[in-house]
Amino acid sequence: MASGDTLLSFGPLSNQPPASGYATLDTRNSIPVLDFDAASIESAVFSGSMPENYSDATGITIEIDWTASSATSGNVIWGIGLERGVGQDIDSDGFASNVTAAGAANGTSGIQTTTSIALTKGAQMDSVVAGDRFRLRLQRIANDGGDTMTGDAELLAIRIIET
Amino acid sequence: MALTEQQRSNLHAEIMQTLSREQEPVGITKLELRAAVDALDDFLETNASAINTAIPQPARSSLTVSQKARLLAYVTLRRFG
Repeated sequence: MASGDTLLSFGPLSNQPPASGYATLDTRNSIPVLDFDAASIESAVFSGSMPENYSDATGITIEIDWTASSATSGNVIWGIGLERGVGQDIDSDGFASNVTAAGAANGTSGIQTTTSIALTKGAQMDSVVAGDRFRLRLQRIANDGGDTMTGDAELLAIRIIET
Repeated sequence: MALTEQQRSNLHAEIMQTLSREQEPVGITKLELRAAVDALDDFLETNASAINTAIPQPARSSLTVSQKARLLAYVTLRRFG
């Protein structure tokens, strides 16, 4: 698959929330969103299988489409961790360390921001290759000093793209 | 007594959740909002006695502290909320 091509995409209704500290399902103008709190770390988890046409040449880029519930300024720190399903005991979590990026809220609450996080192949992707079942964990790192945005961040969609 | 650090932190989080739920545009950062919470709590700590004195008798003596606090909140919200 060529660089820049979309491999997978997930919406809020695809979330498999963890037992605690989960992003909350909500709607905005009847559009499903996942609310990520501003005061504590919250997570959403999506699972899938890496398409066979993923080349594993460089890695993947995660694109996060989100809006602010109310803020018109400030930054959100997003973190992405992958967990390869092969060999993983499903009674426990085995996500690779978060790779993070900051995204700035749009000046109009309700207009989306897209934040990109690149994961290089290998350890950052927990060695996920084509055909592997995997889980992707998205977190708002609300306790990070760089996370300055007041109020919830609302996830609209998340895409996995060949880097 | 002023709110504790934990109480201020919880209040800060609660205000942000309310603003998010009501989708009211907010143009300040988390730290700036927290500074406003701290400043208002400090102001109330400093001026609690003066506010109490502003309440005429017999309300000042008859109402509980909690009732007077709600009275202040109601009047403030009606004027500015």
